[in-house]
Amino acid sequence: MKDKVLAGPLGGDLDPFAKPTRSIGSRRFDADPESLERGLAQLVLTIVELLRQLMERQALRRIDGGGLTDEEVERLGRTFMELDARMAELRDQFGLDAEDLNLDLGPLGRLL
Amino acid sequence: MIELLAITDDATPPDPPLGAVRCGRLSVLWAPATEAALDADALWQREVLLEQLMERRDLLPVRLGTLVADERAACEAIAPRGEELARALERVRGAVELSVRALGASDDAPSPAPGEQTGREYLRDRLARDALAREVHAPLAAAARASVVLDGPEVLRAAYLVDRDEVDAFVARFRRLQHECSSVAMVCTGPWPPYSFAEEGDA
Repeated sequence: MKDKVLAGPLGGDLDPFAKPTRSIGSRRFDADPESLERGLAQLVLTIVELLRQLMERQALRRIDGGGLTDEEVERLGRTFMELDARMAELRDQFGLDAEDLNLDLGPLGRLL
Repeated sequence: MIELLAITDDATPPDPPLGAVRCGRLSVLWAPATEAALDADALWQREVLLEQLMERRDLLPVRLGTLVADERAACEAIAPRGEELARALERVRGAVELSVRALGASDDAPSPAPGEQTGREYLRDRLARDALAREVHAPLAAAARASVVLDGPEVLRAAYLVDRDEVDAFVARFRRLQHECSSVAMVCTGPWPPYSFAEEGDA
């Protein structure tokens, strides 16, 4: 990896950018029930994450536009914060990363 | 079975065991398929292959794990997308992909639990994060032929399509930006094959 670094962070510490790699597995389709369950969870959580991000972006736009009362901002913020925390728990439970929650739609690009 | 590596319009054959099959104006570069597990080493080996191929020709990397029966099947697979692939190849000609990742000060720390932050603070942090991402991305995008913001947990994860002879200038701009935005830790890697610019609709 190091020889691909054109410009490292100012302090020189690359550790925060390194992530443990995990095997993608075999090149063959794996039909064991556990992987199928994980695959299904990944699909469902991807859709939930899509909706969460869309709603959060909409909320941020409305806050930027100044059209919400303090109480509404607080309530929205709490809702998104709790949803974010719950999504993180579910991802952990199924051994998924945030990057796993995306779908490649071929010519249409990525979902998120 | 053969594994497709890249699409090019350069007719120069690669060194064995790699092969190339001409399909109209395009060539598909391939490697004999292997059953080895897909781990970090396998990805790096493929990366090295693609970089060697990229030294002598412009190419579009094919999605990892694209296996077909033989050269004829390879041609059949790309034939319906010939025009689109030729346009994509034109888009990346003479350019490489550079990747930038930017981490905010709080990225190392676990997310605050819902009780530790008010809803207003949470949203304010999100807005600040978005603003920071724009601040880093905009000047780099201006120095690139094309750019795409990718999904990731960082403040910014983005890919930039940069002319080969503009790479040094891009890196110099990146270094200046590191000083201007000292609240984020940033790393720039590359040059990579144009992974993020091979599909139409990107950039």
